[in-house]
Amino acid sequence: MLLLKLAFRNIFRQRRRSLLTALSLTGGYILCVFSFSLSEGSYSNAISFFILDHTGHIQIHLDDYLLRPKIHKTIDDPQGLSELLDANEEIESHTLRVFAPAISYYEKDNSPAQVIGVALDRERSTSTLAAKISAGEYIDNALDAEGYYSAMIGAGIANSLNIGLGDELILISQGADGSIANDIFIVKAIVGNRASPDRTTVFLPLIAAQEFLSMYGSVHEVSILLKDDGEARVQAAALQDQLPELTVDPWQTVESTFYQSMQADKQGNNFFMGFIVFIVFVGVLNTVLMSVLERTREFGVLKAIGSRPLKIALMITLETGLLATLSLVVGILLSLPLIAWFTFTGIELAEPMDVGGILMSHLTGELSLFVFGMPLLFIVVFALFISIPAGMRAARISPTEAMRSN
Amino acid sequence: MSGVISTTDVCRYFGDDEETMVKAVDRVSIEIERGEFTAIVGPSGSGKTTLLHLLGGLDNPTSGAVELSDTNIAAMSGAVLSDFRRDHIGFIFQSYNLIPVFSAEENIEYIMLLQGVEASERKRRVTDMLKQVGLEGLGNRRPNKLSGGQQQRVAVARAMVSHPEIILADEPTANLDSKTGIALLDLMKELNENHNMTFVFSTHDEKIMSRAGRLIHLHDGEVELDETK
Repeated sequence: MLLLKLAFRNIFRQRRRSLLTALSLTGGYILCVFSFSLSEGSYSNAISFFILDHTGHIQIHLDDYLLRPKIHKTIDDPQGLSELLDANEEIESHTLRVFAPAISYYEKDNSPAQVIGVALDRERSTSTLAAKISAGEYIDNALDAEGYYSAMIGAGIANSLNIGLGDELILISQGADGSIANDIFIVKAIVGNRASPDRTTVFLPLIAAQEFLSMYGSVHEVSILLKDDGEARVQAAALQDQLPELTVDPWQTVESTFYQSMQADKQGNNFFMGFIVFIVFVGVLNTVLMSVLERTREFGVLKAIGSRPLKIALMITLETGLLATLSLVVGILLSLPLIAWFTFTGIELAEPMDVGGILMSHLTGELSLFVFGMPLLFIVVFALFISIPAGMRAARISPTEAMRSN
Repeated sequence: MSGVISTTDVCRYFGDDEETMVKAVDRVSIEIERGEFTAIVGPSGSGKTTLLHLLGGLDNPTSGAVELSDTNIAAMSGAVLSDFRRDHIGFIFQSYNLIPVFSAEENIEYIMLLQGVEASERKRRVTDMLKQVGLEGLGNRRPNKLSGGQQQRVAVARAMVSHPEIILADEPTANLDSKTGIALLDLMKELNENHNMTFVFSTHDEKIMSRAGRLIHLHDGEVELDETK
């Protein structure tokens, strides 16, 4: 206790210097926390965005459909697969999809389109498709009076073809059996806007797409939403064991380009944090060494009256640790409301920012133990590391030489 | 009386070169008995401080032995030597050398903390020592709020509180005015007589020397005269 008291009072011996050191520690900590929060928050938002938009946490395909999509690479028993997935308690929901490129026509205009057939009810609970409708309403599986299915089209197609709600959209593609696929669909909804990723997509009821593409009840993709965001890899591996004839991938594989760029960016962020920490610790090292140098005589006396060298080194470590702890407590108190505001309110950007290939116009942070804990751990470890050479110097002081110094 | 500390042909030379070598202490053999009040006297540069440092295990002799309670402290080092100093030797320095961020009480208490003395016993001994050195009521003051004489009294209390076998004082009155210096010496003498505590101190002040029971005269590192009054 007396040692702690001694360390505490020694910190306040040179108030101005200790204050400046504490400020650099606090400032460094807040910068690191902010940087982590920004990075984690941006990526969490980006991940949530594409997971809910279309990717899901896990996707199931046949063979290498993900890398080389072909219309004939189909999952032929989606009904049985759905039953298996519905029984899995880790899974929140899942949806079935088919994909095909097509050409869309309206009157004299045509435009390339990506046809996606979706299991409408399942899609509603798995992705944000329903929420992206900017005009019209979410379609159903019913045929209209003239025997046409409904379609939801991207705003880009609507604009290119100058087509609106209630108009007849003609699609031409190639069926899975090699036949020419063509049919008429009634536009019931416009999805997103002209900048949306699905601006050239035509969403059809799954059954309509299967009929249109002659796929006879098969699908290309099953997208799964899990209850726990962090379980994608584990659950994908478990499902892969259950479904050896299919390919099960977590979102990290499905969105590998994004994931790799995120990892690289995070490493860059760690480097940035390391740089901040380095600058902070040059200052701290200077303070600690100055403090030891100034008190050479005192350490000599402490050794003379019986303090063990290790105890003296411990005292220096304690002083540095205390200064770092006090600075970090202030840093946490100051950064907590800042990060909370950043997380729950965020910053609206004038120009969208690219986050791993996804344009984000609203930046928010992340408020988590990791965001606060990681820089804290970094700083505490470095502070203790820095106190070692200073402590060793103090511990090695010869009492006779120390007492000759001023 | 029995021997507390002795030196046998102890030497402390500085420098390796034969021509420039300084023989701060040269072949000194002395024995200090329990309860003695001994002054090591001599002009500046005669080796008083070096000899005291050798007696206290603060410095290692170039050759010879320093024995305290039949233990050759010249052969000790590191934590063992630190513990030995803590338990057997009390130090009083010329410049008081109190810990500036501690109060008088805490300065006295610190050494007992190193010894692992219980809190209640530490408090009892601190109160007792402050009374003995005449600093009752000043225990909460930090060194910078005490006069030189009062600081040196705290240093005396710090040196004595752990009940060492010997107290070594390096020119304890050098930074005090003569009246305060004599008062301090009288206090040390009183503690020496009341507690049969062994004091060895260095001085070149004639008035201070006169209070010592034994005078060891050093000149150029050698014992010139060893007289008991």
